[in-house]
Amino acid sequence: MLGRFLIIDLLLNPDCQKQGFVSTMVTKGKVLILEFRNWLLDQPEGETLLRCYQYGRCTSACPVADIEPSFNPRLFLQKILLSDELIAEEQLVWNCLTCEQCEVHCPEMVKIPHILILAKVRGLMAGNVPAAALDRAKTIVSQGRSLPVSPPMLKTREKMGLPDLGTPPMDQIVAMLADIGIVSKLEKVESVYGGSEDE
Amino acid sequence: MSKARKYTYFPGCMIPYRLPHFELTMTEVLKKLGVELETTPDHSCCPEPTTFTGVDFEAWVTIAARNVAVSEAIGNDTMAMCSGCFHTLAVANHMVHEDEELKERINKRLKASGLEVTGSHEVKNVLHVLRNDIGLDAIEKIVTNPLKKLRIAPHYGCHLVRPLEATNMDHADDPQWMDEVIRATGAEIAEFENKMACCGAPIMPSGEDKAVTITSKHLKNIKASGADAIVVVCPTCYTQLETQQAKAEAISDSEFRIPVLYLGELLALSMGLTDLVTANQRRYHRVKITELLEKAGGAS
Repeated sequence: MLGRFLIIDLLLNPDCQKQGFVSTMVTKGKVLILEFRNWLLDQPEGETLLRCYQYGRCTSACPVADIEPSFNPRLFLQKILLSDELIAEEQLVWNCLTCEQCEVHCPEMVKIPHILILAKVRGLMAGNVPAAALDRAKTIVSQGRSLPVSPPMLKTREKMGLPDLGTPPMDQIVAMLADIGIVSKLEKVESVYGGSEDE
Repeated sequence: MSKARKYTYFPGCMIPYRLPHFELTMTEVLKKLGVELETTPDHSCCPEPTTFTGVDFEAWVTIAARNVAVSEAIGNDTMAMCSGCFHTLAVANHMVHEDEELKERINKRLKASGLEVTGSHEVKNVLHVLRNDIGLDAIEKIVTNPLKKLRIAPHYGCHLVRPLEATNMDHADDPQWMDEVIRATGAEIAEFENKMACCGAPIMPSGEDKAVTITSKHLKNIKASGADAIVVVCPTCYTQLETQQAKAEAISDSEFRIPVLYLGELLALSMGLTDLVTANQRRYHRVKITELLEKAGGAS
């Protein structure tokens, strides 16, 4: 337990952050208690989180932060470094454009949009997913398309002389995803957001 | 014309089923340039990179890698017209290439269908094909109606360009390839502030006002450049800058009325395929392009 408090102290201490202690002293071995953080570090490219030393260029480059001060990528990273799982249930994380302006300007090339994506994934079962995103995901795993294909549109394609693209082999795709369990997850989730698809 | 270049065309969803005039114009332009496209019913939604990733990343990367594996089995390089599809396939391909554990995990899932992903397949966007495989000289050669009177603002969009290690584009902040292709049609480039600004579309499902505010700031910069039109590659950017332009005007109390063309439409206009553009202008363009077409000339 002592180790845990020491690390959190280090993470919160601005002097330590400035000197880069955070990125060098925190290792996976020492923070076993920090479950959310460890889960994230285990995901593909999740480990880039450890390179963050809270420089803040991400926030100054972010077009959302520019118009919405409560959207602060640097603070999101700090919360995740501290394994604050509450961030996974904050609707704000879904305001990330995934434009990667932050990543392009980060001196350490931390995969910031990707890390926020992982935070979103972690919040799925709590319902932190916009209704339109949930609907779209269901369409993808049932029809293999992100939008329903209508008969009039198929007619239009035919008139334009465009090829028939067929239908994706959904049985094969669903079977392939069995160990991930996405189909049953999507059935259980209820979005805490109102509204539905509107594009 | 030398022998045809063959690609596996990855159609995705937005272009074939919402904006088929993209596919129509670009396919005809590519035909003129000696490109042959093949499709397969085995490809599914890429899946789109802006929301499905945040629902279940592992499922996203697995479906994406499966699509790449389908292409690998066919053998030709893959070409996507949509920036979202391209981004998804290129990123998944790159991740599989860099992460042995991930590759193993996905190949285990693919085994039953006899597919395998190696991470070494060539995933290209239509811009790579035009600018690098076909080349600017070959494009210039078949321009019959140089668009000399047009000043065009190129909107690249984020997912076409970033991350560079996966997209193999030329520059993360100041890309030039689309500028070069546009110049090959005879048109001039309208320079504007913040060239790589996001269109705003990805957060329409979670924060429409913020999305549209971002769109309006971008359109304001482009308006100030005096551009005759915006040219895009990505169907999602098109939807945001074109279809939603009225919302961007309303939220910022401005009047933009900037026509938006797909790159395939611009190329078609320069190559005497004007009818392809005029035939669909009312259905797919909310911002009128009549004046623009007059300025472009070449109508039959």
